[in-house]
Amino acid sequence: MEITVKKIGDDQKEYIEIGCYREDARVKEIVQFVRAREGLLKGTKEDRQYKIALPDILYIEAVDEKTFIYLKDDCYESGKRLYEFEELLASRSFARISKSVVVNLMKIDSIKPSLNGRFSCILTNGEQVIISRKYVPDIREKLKEGAL
Amino acid sequence: MKEHLKANLGGFFISVTLIDIAIFILGGLLEPDMRFGYEAFIYPIIYGVLGSLPGLVMYSKKELTIKQTIVREIIQMLMIVALIIAFMFGRFKVVPDVIPQIIGVAISVMVIYVLVHFFSWLIDLKTANLMTEDLKKYQAKVSGK
Repeated sequence: MEITVKKIGDDQKEYIEIGCYREDARVKEIVQFVRAREGLLKGTKEDRQYKIALPDILYIEAVDEKTFIYLKDDCYESGKRLYEFEELLASRSFARISKSVVVNLMKIDSIKPSLNGRFSCILTNGEQVIISRKYVPDIREKLKEGAL
Repeated sequence: MKEHLKANLGGFFISVTLIDIAIFILGGLLEPDMRFGYEAFIYPIIYGVLGSLPGLVMYSKKELTIKQTIVREIIQMLMIVALIIAFMFGRFKVVPDVIPQIIGVAISVMVIYVLVHFFSWLIDLKTANLMTEDLKKYQAKVSGK
């Protein structure tokens, strides 16, 4: 396999492109390795443990003492508590938006007003999660600081 | 709690303005010849406080669902109607002449309640648009675009 590294300008988005005959196990392994470099979380589904790449996560929700990690088409359970995720992912593009949800800011498509001073995040898959009033000032600050 | 108080304070000021307008319209229709003294200036504020009380009392630490919020808002609105009618007409005997006034006041309170929420929603819409703008800049910066 030939490997080419090309330098690009600062104004461009970094990317990795794989040219292959078919997407076999070898290619999947390379993709998994690259994704792992961006951060991983552990989650379980049907008694099997999986590694979940951070950029794939939409949001993490706590429901009745259990914590679930939501992806576009999948959902995994985690043994960690929501506040642990909040601390762990504070420096990444994640933010606590309510008592029960930590959201991936990169997966929010838009923000709309909801009832009673709350806001609704429309995610890239069309799902909606609520920003409760208490967390609105923190989110505004995080977005403003990050946007500068 | 701090955010809840802030939201109630905002609602109070919008209410006082709308109550002023409602008194002007209703008074002009029902009692056009009535004259008042300086005490009339305090009434919109008293009604504004009465209208804000149920919202302060019904503060919940729980994060309510949309359905629960709607039910709570309806209960809150009915409580405000009852409070204001009791305050305005409680000392009078309910005679047929007063009933149209009670109905007028009840409808006005409900309209004001809905309008307060509408104006608050408009303010939130502006905030949401600003947040979305900041979000897009944030996402562009993080993804290196």
